[in-house]
Amino acid sequence: MPECENPLVPCAMTGAVTCLAGFSGITVVIHGSSGCYYYPASLLHAPLAGTFIVEQDIIFGSEDRLLEVVRDLSGSGMRIAVVTSCVPAILGEDIKAILSSYDVILVDSPGFSGSFEAGYKNALSILAPGIDPGTAGVNIDGVSRLDPFCRGNVIELTRLLSAAGVPVATVLCSDELGKLASCSQYTITTDGDLASGIGTNLGGTLGLDGVRQTFRKIGDAFDGSDVAPVLTEIDSEEERLVRACDKFLRRFDPPRAAIFSGSSYASFAAAALKKYLDAEIVCIGNRGEPAGQADFLSVPASGYSDVRDLIRKHSPDLVIGSSFEKSLRGTAAFTGLTPPLKDRVRLFPEPIAGISGTLSFMEDVINACIDRESGR
Amino acid sequence: MPSNPLPLNSCRSGGCTLTGALSVTTSVRDSVSVIHGPAGCAHHNFSLLHATGLDNDHVAALNLISSGMQDMEVIFGGEDALGAAIRSAIRQDVSVVYVLSTCIVETIGDDVAAVCGRDWGVPVVRVPTAGFLGGSFQTGVSNALTAIAGTMPGRVLPKDPHIVNIIGEKNLEYEVEENYREVARLLALLGLTINVRFVHCTGINELAGLGEASLNILRDDEMQPVGDLLYRKYRIPSIPSFPVGLSGSLDFLKVTGDLAGIDPAPAISDEKDRQDSLLDGFSGTAGSMLRFSLTAPDLPANRAISEVIARLDLKVGKDGARVPMPPSPPVGTEGVRRMLHRWRRALNAGM
Repeated sequence: MPECENPLVPCAMTGAVTCLAGFSGITVVIHGSSGCYYYPASLLHAPLAGTFIVEQDIIFGSEDRLLEVVRDLSGSGMRIAVVTSCVPAILGEDIKAILSSYDVILVDSPGFSGSFEAGYKNALSILAPGIDPGTAGVNIDGVSRLDPFCRGNVIELTRLLSAAGVPVATVLCSDELGKLASCSQYTITTDGDLASGIGTNLGGTLGLDGVRQTFRKIGDAFDGSDVAPVLTEIDSEEERLVRACDKFLRRFDPPRAAIFSGSSYASFAAAALKKYLDAEIVCIGNRGEPAGQADFLSVPASGYSDVRDLIRKHSPDLVIGSSFEKSLRGTAAFTGLTPPLKDRVRLFPEPIAGISGTLSFMEDVINACIDRESGR
Repeated sequence: MPSNPLPLNSCRSGGCTLTGALSVTTSVRDSVSVIHGPAGCAHHNFSLLHATGLDNDHVAALNLISSGMQDMEVIFGGEDALGAAIRSAIRQDVSVVYVLSTCIVETIGDDVAAVCGRDWGVPVVRVPTAGFLGGSFQTGVSNALTAIAGTMPGRVLPKDPHIVNIIGEKNLEYEVEENYREVARLLALLGLTINVRFVHCTGINELAGLGEASLNILRDDEMQPVGDLLYRKYRIPSIPSFPVGLSGSLDFLKVTGDLAGIDPAPAISDEKDRQDSLLDGFSGTAGSMLRFSLTAPDLPANRAISEVIARLDLKVGKDGARVPMPPSPPVGTEGVRRMLHRWRRALNAGM
């Protein structure tokens, strides 16, 4: 990787910790320095543990320190997962052998080894989710504690599945560890960039069209389900949404939008803006790894200067992204979609998935655009 | 940040040297901080510094460049990657480049000093950091301030008796600006103004005037080595800490006035009146019971808290409302006022 100005993407270690910390029943131990510990701890608000290694551990070996921490944590009934950061990963210690007396999940995920997504998926693969054909319901996939919409997405999809008479099976990755071994054979996805590949994917849940298609498939897959209430709700809420957008367009031009996010969320935002506001998508800056197939062209934007250059080049009047993009938007309207969203207090579990997710996103966009146009 | 219930050795939780140093170097305007290490380390810190800037109602002109080390650099050495990152930094036409390293770099043994020592055409200043290998967060702060001070001319300048410097503000502190304003207010009571904030959103040209002040106000006693360095360099005496609590603020006025050759009595009288008025406003809490733990009663913060409890006739007991303790000592009279608002909120809520 060439040098990078103000990188905006967390490392593979953070990705692995994010995945593991989503499961109750696991105590995550970051085997590394306090600096490596504090960042994911402050982002995830999860009870993480750390070895907090210091210089003497590098010189004389980190075995004693690692064993001290694991020994203190063992016996609590929780599985222990050890994630190695950069320095322990290159010390050459046989950590697997060191911890052989303990039932430990070991995830080698040094920051230099790759992206957040790579670390997340690597950790999930080591947890080895299993499918149990006897498990009722549908899994919810692509849930990450790093995502500001994580809680809201799970609440919203649980609501919709309940309305359709379909139980939630396993939430990947925000559930009890024990449920990972018995996932349902069917899965629906929130953030497709973090899709696990577990079970038959019945579809995504971003955007009203996506929710509609996915629930039709759910209706086909589950005898006894009744997705009609969900489909009816989509129709009525979409009508309200269209009315609001139409009213906006009676006074204002469609926004020229620049979107900065992972592939999945960015595609959702672009499609919604295009469909309901006839927006011009002037650019999509892709924060993560590029999607295999996308409806909108995107360019990599993993550094602050990439974002700044794209905004300068395209002069959007609406910027969708994270706090980073917000601080570079100039006079453009802004709507938050991408972590981190740090500059506003967020208490309500707002979703981006499901019906409420689309309504919430479009409501934010319309209000931001009206405020900008009206000089409020 | 969440506390960890593990049986930690306290020296292990001193934070990252790199983060401490970056909290200083990124606050020098017209500079670039090059982080020699994996991009993730730079992201961690960029994200933290950016969020802190937002919290403080300004986004500092953050300018970090990561050398972007990956597997290949870890195996074969990363000095070429560092050189490329420094070249990128210089292309931005900045006045100074600070180079900071990470734990992985120190572990593999890259010679960062040698790369920085090349003729780059602009000052390329190596700041000793190495994540956990370099010490604590506070070590990083001190190392960065020392490195920056080391780049400035050492001659003793004529002193202006009415200006003082602020040394070693905690740039990641949530109340950093409020604390600064409180110190500035107290100094103004003595007729003193602030010359250089060393370093908080400070330009290189401003730093050149550091030696003109008659007094340095250190943020806290951890800044003493930097205060000593500046005394050796510029013959400027220092006040060891921002004022803490009510009596601490009056003491601060007295000591500062005495050192600056100014009669502090009028300022102390004005501030006493302000403090009496402040306590009158919270007199309705008299007799209320609260609970908290003072782990080390001899610390200035705890002395300040004990004083407030006594003057407001508050009670402390295990059945009282749990009140929040400030993460760092309340600075000045205004710091006490904000602390008391939080306490009264807790008393009102009964939690």
